[in-house]
Amino acid sequence: MMSAIDYALLIPILPIVAFPVILFIGQMFNGMPSWRNAWKEGGTIAVVVLGVVLGLSLSLISGYIGAVSGWDASNASGEVSAHSATEANDDAVSANVGEYDSWINFHITDGDNLISESFGFGIYLDHASVMLLFVASFLCLMIGIFSLGYMNTDEINLDRNHRFYAEFLLFSAGMFGMVLADDFLWLFIFWEIMGLCSYLLIGFYYDKPSAAYAAKKAFLTTRVGDVFLFIGLLMMWNLFNSLEFATVWSDAAIAQVVADGNQGQLHLALGMMFIGAVGKSAQFPLHVWLPDAMEGPTPVSALIHAATMVNAGLYLVVRMIPFFANDQLAGDLSTLALTIAWIGGFTAVFAALIAFVQKDIKKVLAYSTMSQLAYIFTGLGAAAWLLNNGHTTAGLFAFGASLFHLFNHAMAKGMLFMASGSVIHEMHHAHHKINHSHGDHDDGHHEEDHFDAQDMTNMGGLAGKMPITATAMAVGSMSIIGIPLIGGFWSKEGIIASTWKAALTDGGFLLIGPALLLLIGAGMTGFYMSRMWFMTFAGKAKTPVADEVVEETPFIPIPLVILTFMTLGAIILASMHFIGWASEGFGHFSLDIVSGLVHELKHAFLPGGDDSVSSILFLVTMLTIFLSMILGPFTAMALYGGRLDAYKAKPWLQWLINLSHKVNRRSHFDNTAWAESSLAEALDKRLYIDDFYDNICEKWIVVPFANICAWFDRRVIDGAVKGIEYGSQETSTYIRSLTTGSARDYIMMAVLGIFAIFLLIWGVA
Amino acid sequence: MSTHQNANFKMGEREMILITGFFAIIAILTYMFPSLAETNSAGQIDWITMPLVGFPIIASGVLMAFASMASRRRKHNIEVPIKLASLFFSLFMLAITTSLFFGILESINWDFSIFNSYELEFSYAWNTTLGVNWHVGMDALSFSMVWLTTLLLPIVMITTWEEKAGWYHHPLILMMGGALIGVFVSLDLFMFYVFWELTLIPMFFLILKWGGSERRYAAQKFFIYTFTASVIMLLGIITLYFLNDGSFDITELTRSSQAASDRGDVWLGAKMQNALFLMFLLGFLVKLPAVPFHTWLPDAHVQAPTSGSMLLAGVMLKMGGYGLFRFCVSMFPDALVNFQWLLLTIGLVSLVYGSLVCLGQNNLKKMVAYSSVSHMGVITLGIATMEPLGFTAAIFMMFAHGIISPMLFAVCGSFKHHYHTLEIGAMRGLARHSPFLGVFMMFSWMASLGLPLLAGFVAEIAVLIAFWKAFGWWVLLPGLTLVITAAYYLWSMQKTIFEGGLEGELPESLQGESPVDISRWEGSGMMIMALLIVLFGILPWIVFDMMSGYSLAVFTGILGFGGV
Repeated sequence: MMSAIDYALLIPILPIVAFPVILFIGQMFNGMPSWRNAWKEGGTIAVVVLGVVLGLSLSLISGYIGAVSGWDASNASGEVSAHSATEANDDAVSANVGEYDSWINFHITDGDNLISESFGFGIYLDHASVMLLFVASFLCLMIGIFSLGYMNTDEINLDRNHRFYAEFLLFSAGMFGMVLADDFLWLFIFWEIMGLCSYLLIGFYYDKPSAAYAAKKAFLTTRVGDVFLFIGLLMMWNLFNSLEFATVWSDAAIAQVVADGNQGQLHLALGMMFIGAVGKSAQFPLHVWLPDAMEGPTPVSALIHAATMVNAGLYLVVRMIPFFANDQLAGDLSTLALTIAWIGGFTAVFAALIAFVQKDIKKVLAYSTMSQLAYIFTGLGAAAWLLNNGHTTAGLFAFGASLFHLFNHAMAKGMLFMASGSVIHEMHHAHHKINHSHGDHDDGHHEEDHFDAQDMTNMGGLAGKMPITATAMAVGSMSIIGIPLIGGFWSKEGIIASTWKAALTDGGFLLIGPALLLLIGAGMTGFYMSRMWFMTFAGKAKTPVADEVVEETPFIPIPLVILTFMTLGAIILASMHFIGWASEGFGHFSLDIVSGLVHELKHAFLPGGDDSVSSILFLVTMLTIFLSMILGPFTAMALYGGRLDAYKAKPWLQWLINLSHKVNRRSHFDNTAWAESSLAEALDKRLYIDDFYDNICEKWIVVPFANICAWFDRRVIDGAVKGIEYGSQETSTYIRSLTTGSARDYIMMAVLGIFAIFLLIWGVA
Repeated sequence: MSTHQNANFKMGEREMILITGFFAIIAILTYMFPSLAETNSAGQIDWITMPLVGFPIIASGVLMAFASMASRRRKHNIEVPIKLASLFFSLFMLAITTSLFFGILESINWDFSIFNSYELEFSYAWNTTLGVNWHVGMDALSFSMVWLTTLLLPIVMITTWEEKAGWYHHPLILMMGGALIGVFVSLDLFMFYVFWELTLIPMFFLILKWGGSERRYAAQKFFIYTFTASVIMLLGIITLYFLNDGSFDITELTRSSQAASDRGDVWLGAKMQNALFLMFLLGFLVKLPAVPFHTWLPDAHVQAPTSGSMLLAGVMLKMGGYGLFRFCVSMFPDALVNFQWLLLTIGLVSLVYGSLVCLGQNNLKKMVAYSSVSHMGVITLGIATMEPLGFTAAIFMMFAHGIISPMLFAVCGSFKHHYHTLEIGAMRGLARHSPFLGVFMMFSWMASLGLPLLAGFVAEIAVLIAFWKAFGWWVLLPGLTLVITAAYYLWSMQKTIFEGGLEGELPESLQGESPVDISRWEGSGMMIMALLIVLFGILPWIVFDMMSGYSLAVFTGILGFGGV
């Protein structure tokens, strides 16, 4: 019987095949009315393909769940078994797809022996990949539908949308491939494919110099990380002679490493791979590309730079967790775990700080993405540390919480970006409308350059005019902030509590830093997300354009509504023990939602149980809730809140606006001094890190050195060659000058020659 | 352009008869060939001597003689038939090599190699007093190079279909192909050297007749530089000849070298072997080219026409790599071990320094030329690792670079052809003016910087795995190169394909003409190359297994390792 896994290969292959098809058809039919309208310049094909892929993924996932839970015995073939995602070998459905078993075969020396090795391609499913596969395929479809509205109704995209949809599909193929791959090499290959698509899509508006620059920056920055990842893979291959998950995680392989005393090598290899993850997930110090990447169209930002590709780095770390969890390596990998947590903690606060001063709505979201990914990194770091030091239960909880936050963040951030896209799009339209009604210009292009549809200081009061968008944005922001019971709350509390718990365990005091940073970050998230919402939706319209905004573009509301419910539905997932499920295996899955909810509530608000650290954890939780729910949002209300002018918002939003108005009126909070301070200036300039990198590359080191090399090549190496050329020419000219044509000279030379020969013979004799 | 020529195309009666006759002779020869051909002791038909080496050289000679006899007015009339005849020949050669590969003509398993034994080998006595024989053969190494050459010939002809004076141009490419294959199949040092030098002649004329404004200097430099190096190699060949009782036979020499190793001796004595190794090495390093013997390459490339550049980068550079394997590795293993450090140094310097120089260029074609220098460093490094995988990676790199770099030069050629400039940054917004050229440019650039699922990546992972095994942390230098390579390619794309605003920005050299996209011929050539790059990137085992088998045989053969 065919099980779903037999079709799994279609999941990456379908979009990869559709990529050239759309590109070529698009080039052929470009400009034809039916291609534009019915086919949406390839959008229809893309959505259909992504729909099919979602169907395949769901059947694969349900087949997997059925197989591992024993619900569906027909799927439980010999190769299927279920266990925790932190263990190797017996925890997953692994299918080597026959013919692709030997992608390349080669021979290499191993000590004094020659061995024969190969790389193959296969599919690997466990809880982490299943979850990410769902996230990726679901969001790809959602954002595909969104693009139908967003891309095809904008004149500037006319006749080049097929390129967008083709690259979009190639990207999704890369993402699916990465999630399904059963070894690190193919993970890396698809990882690079995604990098390429990111480059192409950031540079979608290729004529804009800023987009071209941003695309280059994104590719190069991630490339730096990728090279380290690549070296990490080489080291790992050298240790295990394989890069397959099942092999490298197995007890036997790790036992061999331990027996050879190579734990240090493994530690280093994982560290190198982590640098790759840092680059891909835009963590400090390789974070510079992500804000610039917002030059791409908004669906791209939503899909690639918020919901899926940036999760690849996290996924890589998730794939490293089994090493930490293996008790043969207990304590050996602590440094890396701490590094992960520290980088995460630092980036969480650092990105949040920069987000404070951003005016561009997409830039706020970009920094928010960095910050939230950093939370997940910290959670994974804490999980890694706990697992590596024998605190398995706590470690698994932290791991599950991180995975759950990945899920929640992807859903919420995808939605937030789409909502911001909706705002930008309608702002754009409104701006067009105004320009046309004034009738003072024939072409709107000239005016448009001066108006920034993404600038939040041009918005305000949109809650009444864009109810669906405003609701989606509010729910998404609450999920990211961690307002109790909504979306990200369940996972974020888990991450913060776990990090604190790890910090309070014996030997974990070095984690106190990340733990504190996360706590501070929670309040900052509350502020900047609220700031964004109130600046955009509350108060009075700040420009006439914002007054004219209407929510009218087709397709855009569909994914927003679906994702709003998805985000709100996180409570159901939480009460189904998602955290335990994601980390420990299917056995923890529970359909008893009510008791599950009680359990989770207890867990979230009264963490720790009868542990001695429970009182501190309780305090931490309350403090987190206070910071993120009270301090942050209320500060934002005090600064940016206000009543709408004409329209009324929907009832479920009106109270929020009224509240912000009250807070705003009561408080006489003046932040002009702060806003004009040099710190704000520095934050606005992203703490000068981007400039520093640019200077290193272009002014100080790389380019000057390259120019010196080019000069050296031209003048010294080729100069030497030219010198020989020139010298030989000179010599020949000189010799030629002896050829005078005069008989006397020749007789003279002949005589001299004979004389010389006599001398020689005489000398030799 | 093509329509213009087609409109003027009128074929005279005499040309018609001659061309028809020519094709008829070819057809008859092809048909009768199997019964006429010699067979060797294994009963294999000689598919090498005439079909792959003799025919193309003779045919191109005939075609050119025919063209030169035609009067100036009639030359245009015979242009298309001559080009078609050349294309037909190259396709004929491609058909032969491809069927050889798939075991259709002879049942050969290329994946399984034995050291110093050739899957297809033929020998005819020629000048017995001198000891020169016509001895040809193919093993997996030479076969992959021959296949590459035959793949490339029709592609080059199609891409440069509209080159002026096609009646000489295309036959020259054909002759080039014959000479190159001659280099790869010769198992006699004398013939090897003859073909080695013979390849210079068509290339010299290609540069001299169709090149850019400085072509005279470039052609001379190219000729004299590589010729000088070859003369040193010739000294080595002559020395080898006298030291071995007047034998030019490569298989025999390799056999005696191996016999000496088996006895535990150093063949010809350590000093002599080192000296010979260095003499040969110099010849190959110049051809490869490796830093510091590389400066002829940028000059030659910048001045050479598209076809010349494509063949030069695609196959001629590989003669160096091929020579390294055939002589430096196979014949002088002891010296190879002694000079491992030298190969490592030269490889690393070529790789890193080459890529840095690329970053400092502002001429598109020069940048691509230096990128070849950088990529050829991979071959030296692969050999220096002294791992079977390293050898395989080097050979695969030769093959992959053999398809990728012609595409790079085809793109540069079209760029020059349509925009009359090669300066990076002289124009912006290629994606708007010439979208197809832009797409192909981006594709080939990405292939060259080692994007996964394209051919170059496979060589990259293979060489780096072997490199890490052999040299450990030195891998950071190739790693750095990966970043620099990405940097110069992306930078050049940013300044040509991207930017320029909605209207784009045109170079002054265009002098107000409106820009055009690539022609159908150029497009088809590039498309074929792109498909090949994808094919060998996704399904590398098609050729990788064969190279892997060869590397294993060489490795066990020279270092006396036990089998797997």
